Amino acid sequence: MNAIEIKNLTKNFGSKQALKGLNMTVPIGAIYGFIGENGSGKSTTEKIICGLIHPNGGTVKLYGRNHTDADVRAKIGVLIEAPGCFQNYSVWNNMMLQAANLGIRDPEKAVVNALKTVRMEGAATNKYKNCSLGMKQRIGIAMALLGGPTLLVLDEPINGLDADGMRIMREVLVEITQKYHCTVVISSHILGELEKIATHYGIVRGGKMIKEMTAAELEAGCRTYVALKTRDMSRTKALLSCKYSRVEEDESGYIRVYDAKEPEEIVTHLYENGILISEIKTAKIGLEEYYIDLMNEKGGR
Amino acid sequence: MTASHELKFESPSFTKRLKGMLGVDFYRLFHTPMFYIFLAIAAIIPAMVLSMTGMPGPNGEVTEPLFTNTWQIIAADTPLYVVSDIGEYANMNMVFIFGGIMVSIFIGHDYKSGYVKQLFTTHAKKQDYMMSKTLVSAFSMACMCVTYIIGGVAAGILSGTSFDVNVGSLICAIIGKMIMSLGWASLYTFLNIIFRRYFGVSIVSCFFFGTGILIIGAAAIFGNSSILNIFLYGSSVYACLSGNILTLLMCIVCSVAWTIIYNVIGTIVLYKSDVY
Repeated sequence: MNAIEIKNLTKNFGSKQALKGLNMTVPIGAIYGFIGENGSGKSTTEKIICGLIHPNGGTVKLYGRNHTDADVRAKIGVLIEAPGCFQNYSVWNNMMLQAANLGIRDPEKAVVNALKTVRMEGAATNKYKNCSLGMKQRIGIAMALLGGPTLLVLDEPINGLDADGMRIMREVLVEITQKYHCTVVISSHILGELEKIATHYGIVRGGKMIKEMTAAELEAGCRTYVALKTRDMSRTKALLSCKYSRVEEDESGYIRVYDAKEPEEIVTHLYENGILISEIKTAKIGLEEYYIDLMNEKGGR
Repeated sequence: MTASHELKFESPSFTKRLKGMLGVDFYRLFHTPMFYIFLAIAAIIPAMVLSMTGMPGPNGEVTEPLFTNTWQIIAADTPLYVVSDIGEYANMNMVFIFGGIMVSIFIGHDYKSGYVKQLFTTHAKKQDYMMSKTLVSAFSMACMCVTYIIGGVAAGILSGTSFDVNVGSLICAIIGKMIMSLGWASLYTFLNIIFRRYFGVSIVSCFFFGTGILIIGAAAIFGNSSILNIFLYGSSVYACLSGNILTLLMCIVCSVAWTIIYNVIGTIVLYKSDVY
């Protein structure tokens, strides 16, 4: 049994087809990174999972049950866009209201625990409207944690956060999966951050799932490259471009050669042409580059 | 990958769901200044109307007072479906107009804050939402009726207007109108569900229906017929100072029937539509 199993999901908004037969499988206990361009159908899929919008076709099963069943819905925590909080109420009151809605027996204890998990226990008396974006996102996650969810759906929870905010959020998300035994679906454009926590990935494009894989499969599928620096970078690049099909200069000023079998091969080739290497290393491409490569492969970028 | 702990799924009972939602809505109602502002408005209006009628004109001429009895500010002497004078309109039915605006603001805030999204992603059912909003709105309008009576009575005492009345009929009229709060609340909740994405339209539509202009118009065409009592405005007017236990019964039937109708349709609309 999987936490989420979606088959042939379709959704139209007027004449626009947002989802075109999307399939998705999220195993129990996974941190599922849901990736795609703007308008690719990520948020629509998440909103359907959360029961906010109705699909035109296809099936959505959560833990083997229909996603609209009240019993399974009671075990879902959601943060879509922004938490549904009242601006003039304190963080504590907003949390207590959500706890009351969920019919939690010991609401105070549950709220304290949830705030502690997201490192917000010190800000309980703050008015919600006075909280920073990072704090609001964490409050949203704390609200989603009330009721002990088994599935958390988070839409862009790290967007707009500073480096420290991202680090805290990352720690919080990892802790949640361990402490609450939660399955987490998290969509984000910040792939570098996602890569640090996700165990599974789903890449969606044009309303269709184009690739699903585990972190191990991503690791295996990511190509290695040789990065180097010389004193004459333009000549080096020209020389290597004659021999190798993909040679690029990256943001850090390294020349990357993607299809070299061994680094020694490049060293020898450059030495024979009178170029001395000042720095050389081998590395693997990250999720971001993998994603860009995949998008390029599928065309249209 | 499997979780090490056992997964348990329990369907929360209807009572548990509604209790939680009502608790939140009542908390919000009592903690919003808007509620107290509307209570104050409901108290001030009858006091102003009662104390201003019969005041000397701009040149000092003596005018005929609109109300010769304090209780006429609560309900008309007889059911008046056709209003020939705006003064005849001035009774406790005005609470239902202002109540509509209050309900619009209350429900509009649910959508604006994203609270509705938070609610519908969990176990909350659409019918629970309709019921909870209807009950809380009905309660708030009933409270407005109470402050309206207090304001009217205070103004009656201060202006020395007569209090002579058939107590039984008065009680039937007051309770009848307060019971109508439920029907009106369900209408306003329904209208706010329909126009949930257009806050301004919600307020205007609530005001429009609250004035009973459609029934007044129908009465102008078809005459002062008691058949109009099947509508919310008709029954609200029917609860008058010549009313009796049958009047009260009519109000109960009309109010409950419309509450059921609006709740059912509203729930269907919510189930069929997407939440943004």
